[in-house]
Amino acid sequence: MKRPLFLLAGVLSAVLLGACSKSGESGSDGKLTVALLPKSKGNQYFVTCEKGARKAADELGVELLFDGPTNTDPAKQNEIVENWISLGVDVICAACENKDGISTALRKAQDAGIKVVTYDADAQPDARSFFVNQATAKGIGDTLMDTAAELTGGSGEFAVISATLTAANQNEWIKYIKARLEEKYPDMKLVDVKPCDDQKDKAQQETTNLLSAYPNLKAVVAICSPGVPGAAEAVKQAGKAGQVKVLGLGLPSENRAYVKEGVTQAVILWKVEDLGYLTVMAGAALAEGKLAPGATEFEAGKLGTLKIEGDNILLGTPFVFTKENIDEFDF
Amino acid sequence: MNQRYFREWTVAGAFGLLMLSLLIFAPHFFQGQPLLSRVTSQMPALLAAIGITLVIVSRQIDISVGAQFSLCAVIAGLTASAGLPLGVAIGAAVGAGALMGALNGWLVAYLGLPSIVVTLATMVTWQEALRLWQQGRLIGLPDGVQWFGLGQASGQMLVIGFTAGVLIFSAWGMRNLAAGRFVYATGTDAEAARLAGIDPKRTTFGVFVLMGVLAGLAAVLNLVQSAQIQPNSGDGLELKIIAAAVVGGVAIQGGRGTLWGVLPGMLLLANVNPALTHFHQPPYWEKAIQGMVILLAVVADGLRTRKSSN
Repeated sequence: MKRPLFLLAGVLSAVLLGACSKSGESGSDGKLTVALLPKSKGNQYFVTCEKGARKAADELGVELLFDGPTNTDPAKQNEIVENWISLGVDVICAACENKDGISTALRKAQDAGIKVVTYDADAQPDARSFFVNQATAKGIGDTLMDTAAELTGGSGEFAVISATLTAANQNEWIKYIKARLEEKYPDMKLVDVKPCDDQKDKAQQETTNLLSAYPNLKAVVAICSPGVPGAAEAVKQAGKAGQVKVLGLGLPSENRAYVKEGVTQAVILWKVEDLGYLTVMAGAALAEGKLAPGATEFEAGKLGTLKIEGDNILLGTPFVFTKENIDEFDF
Repeated sequence: MNQRYFREWTVAGAFGLLMLSLLIFAPHFFQGQPLLSRVTSQMPALLAAIGITLVIVSRQIDISVGAQFSLCAVIAGLTASAGLPLGVAIGAAVGAGALMGALNGWLVAYLGLPSIVVTLATMVTWQEALRLWQQGRLIGLPDGVQWFGLGQASGQMLVIGFTAGVLIFSAWGMRNLAAGRFVYATGTDAEAARLAGIDPKRTTFGVFVLMGVLAGLAAVLNLVQSAQIQPNSGDGLELKIIAAAVVGGVAIQGGRGTLWGVLPGMLLLANVNPALTHFHQPPYWEKAIQGMVILLAVVADGLRTRKSSN
């Protein structure tokens, strides 16, 4: 009884594969197929990316495939890329969970004539043509510092909550915060940098300590995502909501309640939907020959003209989510 | 000063000195609400430290406490956010803790496996299961969970009061209840305890279950202190409380130690970091100072054992 079922399954998958490769061929008739790979497809962040990607695909009239691991899984990512290679898609856009692991698969795709773009998290430079960079360290540092200055009126003490004292990206951001501080805000003073080990509860405790150790503290800047709600809860418990400003890098969804209560003033992140949009725009342009290595600018539909630094297409300065606009975003 | 409780007194003295220097050089430390929040936030670890004291006194170890704590917190958080009453969420957390403790206890007591290996295995299992299941996202808690729906001041008092109650009862019980004496007897010499009519296996099993229950309760007391819960909330908890027990004079070889040493041990280690912040010193020193305190305690133990064996 089982054998015929297997046979049936075999026939069915052969038919399906045939159908798929046909649609790949139809791509050569003029319709491009762009495949978008998220780190995990259940994650709200990447679901939002896909939303933007769909908009770009509709505008350009290209076919969009969206597939990824259910949970973050580098091996599964490779498997999907292999499938896309045999399907013969025109462009692969990947957010890489494991930089080295996926680069081999992406190189193989390039050898097969597929254009490769990375977004959100990069692969090795020789495994893709461009990286769509959502935010540079300088962009993040400047925006954090400028927002802190704006909220405090440009004077007073502030402290930073970071993930760990050793994380390279965190230290890079702190470097740019300090540079901006020195350059533009002589009346502000960074009194302390506290690590929270990526734990919300630890961020809460560190902020509680900062509040009594520095009675004149004007703002807490959290540069890791669990740090923002942690700092907000501490400020709220101390009864200093509004008096001590809270801002930082995080997801709007995790901070909405505190933003609405007026404890957190600003949550900073790129517009995730725009990241998906730009990625598909760039991928399609690359396949159509409108974008080639060496370009310094890119015309990205509704986003206007964006800068290219080296092989990084820059999404621009991060976006500041506030009480007024946070409800428009659901990631 | 009683020679027998020498360690308890020295640790309490060290904690007293730290507080005194803060009072003189950084009096802001004792400012009302931040102080209350700080004390409240240290209660869950103290509750878990009571459990680990019993485990270590019975000559075992449990390094899965942090993972148990995280898992209990997530279970309570999901139960509450599914709209079930807070009582059910608390029950679920404590029940889950008891089950995880029972698994450890059964493997150690009845299969005779070494507790460091058993709890290492369960620690990794719970941690990785959580990572797969929750992907590190924050779980938002519904209204009425934070501070048990009582408001901040009463909620904080309840958290502190409950922990103090459990501490006092446990300290009294370890000394005065038969079950408490069984724990010391099992930790000192399991074979002698058995000959004296004590069931060391049952005692060991019971201690691990109690550890799980306390980890569950600690997770609840932590959960109610904010509006969201993060799936890694217990990361590093096991090291914190084992260190507190060792500094507080609990012998890692079992059989000796009191909660009146663990309390100042816990408070001393937990306040190194706040003290550094209030002295306006960089955070790089925290772990180094904590390590030194632990080393001092271990060296003191070593010297004392050598002296008494001479």
